[in-house]
Amino acid sequence: MFLPQNTQRQKVTALDVDVEGCEKFSQTYDSFGNKKLYGRIIQPHSHFSVKIKGTVQTGVDIFEEYTDYPLSAVMFKTQTQLTGLGDKLDEYHKSLMLDKLDGDYEKALRIMRSLPDVFAYDKGVTEIHETAENAFSLGRGVCQDYAHIMISLLRAEHIPARYIVGMMTGEGASHAWVEALCKGYWYGFDPTNNRLVDDGYIRVSCGRDSGDCSVIRGSFYGCAKQSQSETVTVEEIKQTED
Amino acid sequence: MDSLIKNSETINRLLARYGVKFGIYKNGEFKEQLFPFDSIPRIIKSDEFAYLERGLRQRVDALNCFLADIYGKKHIVKDMVIPEEFIFSAKGFLAPCDGVCPPKNIYSHISGIDLVQSKDDSWYILEDNLRVPSGASYPMIARELQRRGAPDVFSNNHVVDNRNYADLLKEVMDNVNTGGINVILSPGRYNAAFFEHSYLAEKTGAVLTTGKDIVCENDNLYYIDYNGKKQRIGAVYRRISDEYLDPMTFYEQSVIGIPHIFEAYRKGNVALLNAPGNGVADDKGIYYFVPKMIRYYLGEDAILMNAPTYLPFYDEDMEYVLDNFDNLVIKDVAEAGGYGVVFGNSLTQEKKAEFIELLKAQPRRFIAQEVIDFYDLDILDENGQRVPRKADLRAFVLTGSTTKVWPSGLTRFSRNPDSFIVNSSQGGGFKDTWVLSR
Repeated sequence: MFLPQNTQRQKVTALDVDVEGCEKFSQTYDSFGNKKLYGRIIQPHSHFSVKIKGTVQTGVDIFEEYTDYPLSAVMFKTQTQLTGLGDKLDEYHKSLMLDKLDGDYEKALRIMRSLPDVFAYDKGVTEIHETAENAFSLGRGVCQDYAHIMISLLRAEHIPARYIVGMMTGEGASHAWVEALCKGYWYGFDPTNNRLVDDGYIRVSCGRDSGDCSVIRGSFYGCAKQSQSETVTVEEIKQTED
Repeated sequence: MDSLIKNSETINRLLARYGVKFGIYKNGEFKEQLFPFDSIPRIIKSDEFAYLERGLRQRVDALNCFLADIYGKKHIVKDMVIPEEFIFSAKGFLAPCDGVCPPKNIYSHISGIDLVQSKDDSWYILEDNLRVPSGASYPMIARELQRRGAPDVFSNNHVVDNRNYADLLKEVMDNVNTGGINVILSPGRYNAAFFEHSYLAEKTGAVLTTGKDIVCENDNLYYIDYNGKKQRIGAVYRRISDEYLDPMTFYEQSVIGIPHIFEAYRKGNVALLNAPGNGVADDKGIYYFVPKMIRYYLGEDAILMNAPTYLPFYDEDMEYVLDNFDNLVIKDVAEAGGYGVVFGNSLTQEKKAEFIELLKAQPRRFIAQEVIDFYDLDILDENGQRVPRKADLRAFVLTGSTTKVWPSGLTRFSRNPDSFIVNSSQGGGFKDTWVLSR
C-alpha cells in the first residue's frame, strides 16, 4: 500500500495509519521513490480494512524540479505494454500535428486539450489495466484510461511522462493523472478533467503506468469469494495561520 | 570408449529410472519426455578448454558489470554505447530492481553460456542465459552412471574430474549467503527441470523447497519444516522465473512465489540466485553489444567471438539483412528455447514477403545472424551406426568469490539430421563432455 509523502508540491503534516488485525508492518521505498507499507496477517479472517487519515498542505509549488534519482527520466520515455501505440492511436497522434508546436509543454497542453473531442468519461466500459490503444478504440473510459492515452501520446513525442495516482477534492475515489517532463520540470496534467494540476491534488504514488502504482495490492490463501471497496474523502481546510 | 558404448542402453534405462526427464508444455498440455543420452563424448583438449575458460570468465564478468551498471548509475547508456531503446523497452528490464544492490553486487551467479564450434574449429557464442539456466544435472548424473559401468575409462583417458559442480555451486551460495541456510526454491514437481532441482539440492546440501514452506517476516526469510521449526534463510537458489517470484512486486496472480521476498532482498537480508532482472542482459538484442561491453567495462578485447550478428534496428544492418536474407537466420528477441527462429532460405516466397513486412514494421524485435557451419559430432543412431549431427555446448560459469568455469558442460545435439536446433525442449539429446587434463 502506498502512502503520500513530501514532494516539492505538497507537505504531509499529519498521517495516521490503522490496519485492522495487523499490529506490525514494514515500510519501504520502491524504485520510483514511492513510500510503501506492507505486512501480513496470519490469523484467519473474513475481512480486512485499512484506514488512513491525514492532512497534506498543498500549493507549495506548481511543478517539481527534475532530479536524476532514483530513476533516470529515460525510463519514462519508453512505452510500456499498456501505453504502446497501436494503429488507432498512431493515426490520432499524426492528426494532432504536434511537430508544428515549439515546446514540450505546449505539446502536452495540446494533447490534453484535444482529448475531450475523441474520448469521453464512462465507467464500466474499460477493464482494469486496459491498454491505451484499446481504451482509445472504445472511445470511452475512466481516469486511468485518460492518463494512459495521454502518456502514450507524450512518449510518442519523446517527452518523458509518468503516471500519477492520488486524490483530489470532490471525488469519492482515488484519481489518476499525468506528469510530463518539460524543460527540466515535471508538470501535472489532469486529462480526465482537462485541467492543470493545482493545489486541489494530493499525490500518492507514481510509475510508468497503472501497473506500477496501484494504491493497494495483496493476496490471501484460502478458498473464498472476494470483493474490495474503496472510499476517498478529501476536505479542504483553509489555512488559518500567517 | 567401447565399454561406454556397450553400456549406452543401460545408462538410458537408468536415467529413465532416476526420473531424468524433461517436462514440456505444448499447446496447453504437459508432457514428460526422456532426455536421450548418447554415449560418444564430446572431447575438448586441455589448451582449448583453457582458451574457452578465459573467454567465458571475461564474458560473464563483463555481463555482471553491465547488470550492476544498468540497475545502478547507467553509465553505458549515458555514454551511448548501447541505445536506451535496447534496455528500457526490453522485457527483461525490471523497474522494481532499479537501485537495488544484491549481496556482494553479484547478479549472475550461475550463467549458462551456449557455444558452437564451426567446421574451421573456431568457437562462437550463441547466447547467454543469465536467468535460470538449467542442464548441469544431466551430464552430472550421466557421468556418475558411466563411472559405475566403466570406472577406468576416465582415468585412462585423462578426463578432468567434473564431480566438483556441487562444490562450486555451494561455494557460490555460501559466498553471498547473508546468514542462514541455503535453499533451492522449485515451483514443484510439474516443472520441466524438477529432476535437476532435487538432484542439485541433494548434492549441495541445500534444502529443496517450494514457496509454501517459506515466509517473510520482519523483512527476513524463513523456512518452516514439517515440524514447524523455523530457520532463517541466507541464500535462495530460486528456479522460479522473475515474474512469479513475488506476487507483491511482480505478477500479482502468482501462486508459486513468496509474498514480500523482494523486500527482504531489497533490504539486503537474503541473496537471490540469480538476481531478479538479469533478463535485460541475456536478451538476444543485447547479445550484439556484449563485445562492446567487454571493451567498455574491462578495457579488453573479447576473447570469444559472437556469431556475426546484425541488428535491423540500424539502417545499414537492415539493408544487409534484406540483401542477404536467404543466407541468414532471423531470431525473435523475445523468444527462447529454440522458438521464434527462422532460416531465411526455408521460407516460401509468400511467407518471406510476409516476414520482411513484419521485420520492417518491428525492427527492434529481431536479430539476424550468419548461419554457422557447425562442426558435427557423431552420435549412434537406432542401429548403432555412427552418424554426424549438429551439436552445441552449454558451459556453466559460476561466480562466487571469483568466476570459474565448470570443466565439463552440457553438449546437446539435434536428433534430426537436417536441424540446427538442439534445445532439449525441441526433442534433442545430450552427451557427456570430456575436458582432457593434458
